[in-house]
Amino acid sequence: MASIIRPALLRQTALAASTRSAARVSTSFAQQSVRSAILKDSARCAAFHTSSRRSLLPPGPQVIKGGVNDPAPVPETSPSHGSYHWVFDRVIAAGLVPLTVAPFAAGSLNPGMDALLCSFLLIHSHTGFQNIIVDYVPTTRYPKSRKAAMWLLNLATVTVGIGLYEFETNDVGLTETIKRVWKA
Amino acid sequence: MAALRSSSRLLATASRSAFKPAIFTRSMATVGDATNQAEPKGASDSKMKKFQIYRWNPDQPTEKPKMQTYELDLNKTGPMVLDALVRIKNEIDPTLTFRRSCREGICGSCAMNINGTNTLACLCRIPTDTKDMKVYPLPHTYVVKDLVPDLTHFYKQYKSIKPYLQRDTPSPDGKEYRQSKADRRKLDGLYECILCACCSTSCPSYWWNQEEYLGPAILLQSYRWIIDSRDERLSERKAALDNSMSLYRCHTILNCTRTCPKGLNPGLAIAEIKKEMSF
Repeated sequence: MASIIRPALLRQTALAASTRSAARVSTSFAQQSVRSAILKDSARCAAFHTSSRRSLLPPGPQVIKGGVNDPAPVPETSPSHGSYHWVFDRVIAAGLVPLTVAPFAAGSLNPGMDALLCSFLLIHSHTGFQNIIVDYVPTTRYPKSRKAAMWLLNLATVTVGIGLYEFETNDVGLTETIKRVWKA
Repeated sequence: MAALRSSSRLLATASRSAFKPAIFTRSMATVGDATNQAEPKGASDSKMKKFQIYRWNPDQPTEKPKMQTYELDLNKTGPMVLDALVRIKNEIDPTLTFRRSCREGICGSCAMNINGTNTLACLCRIPTDTKDMKVYPLPHTYVVKDLVPDLTHFYKQYKSIKPYLQRDTPSPDGKEYRQSKADRRKLDGLYECILCACCSTSCPSYWWNQEEYLGPAILLQSYRWIIDSRDERLSERKAALDNSMSLYRCHTILNCTRTCPKGLNPGLAIAEIKKEMSF
């Protein structure tokens, strides 16, 4: 019971002290009210920030949406971001294994196979980075940074795609490069 | 029987007071001012162990959380960490705050981080070595006081998966919904979950995204209703999980399975849900 009463008491005494000191310093009523408002604000801030703010991306204050007995909101169903996306991810990842081994096992270089390997690699890394961004830049807290990160990723993927295309058409290609590096 | 027991207790106290004077260490005067408080040392064969316990008081919101050290004689303390905490609260510092109820691992109240592992204090033995024992509240939770975390959102998430039997067709005999033995066996390893939140708060994905990701405990419960043969809302249950955040933030880190004080496997349950939803 005391724990419920005490913070209120503490705040009251702090406020009383702040207004008293403000009255002693200032003369006009307007000044006094402004100052006490600032003091009140600072007191409230101090009450919430007990830990160091130097930490990277500190968690914000707790937000409970709705009442305590309401269920947490259920997001809209979108399989393209959920189950389809997950299956697609796994298929691409599993497909990469034979695609990586096949050219060396067959001992021949096929430009079609090379192109397939490159595109699978590109998609795999794109969805992988997407997962990282979804994990660490949540839309609820950093909506702008999230959008920026996603566009940066798209830009990077397109750049890498163009680079790989150039490499495949004007140079020796991915498989051949790996072969040469392996030998060296 | 009761009379007999009380009389025997009387006898016991009488015999004890005959040999050594009773010392009442619990008094309000010892509260709060010293950071290192110890009970009076007894005989030379005492096994002293230090407990460093996370303290934070909402009544002093500007003060930072601190670790307070208590020293107990293990010979006079029960074998479990909860016994030690109860003893500290009873005999050294009554302001120490923690949740506890059943003291036998069935209520899930005393979930806390002990020596770096989320577990139930009542199921965790005190190691007999001389190292200090560190006790924190569940990680990445908003702390109400000392070792008490705020689990409001956790329970709200539990409510959001509708953890109850949903069906429209009445049972054939009008009495109960029957289930084959094989179907009942599917619920083993799922129904035992006591929602202590040890697994969810050990999951890094849940640390970063607990507003939207449901976490292992809730997903295990979700799977418990998905595979229940008597439930008739399978498609709705699956649709509720079919988005980027609710289920698919699980990256199979398996901290949940490692930490579960009841020996359950939430990681496997989540993998089964993913499999169920894939094709």
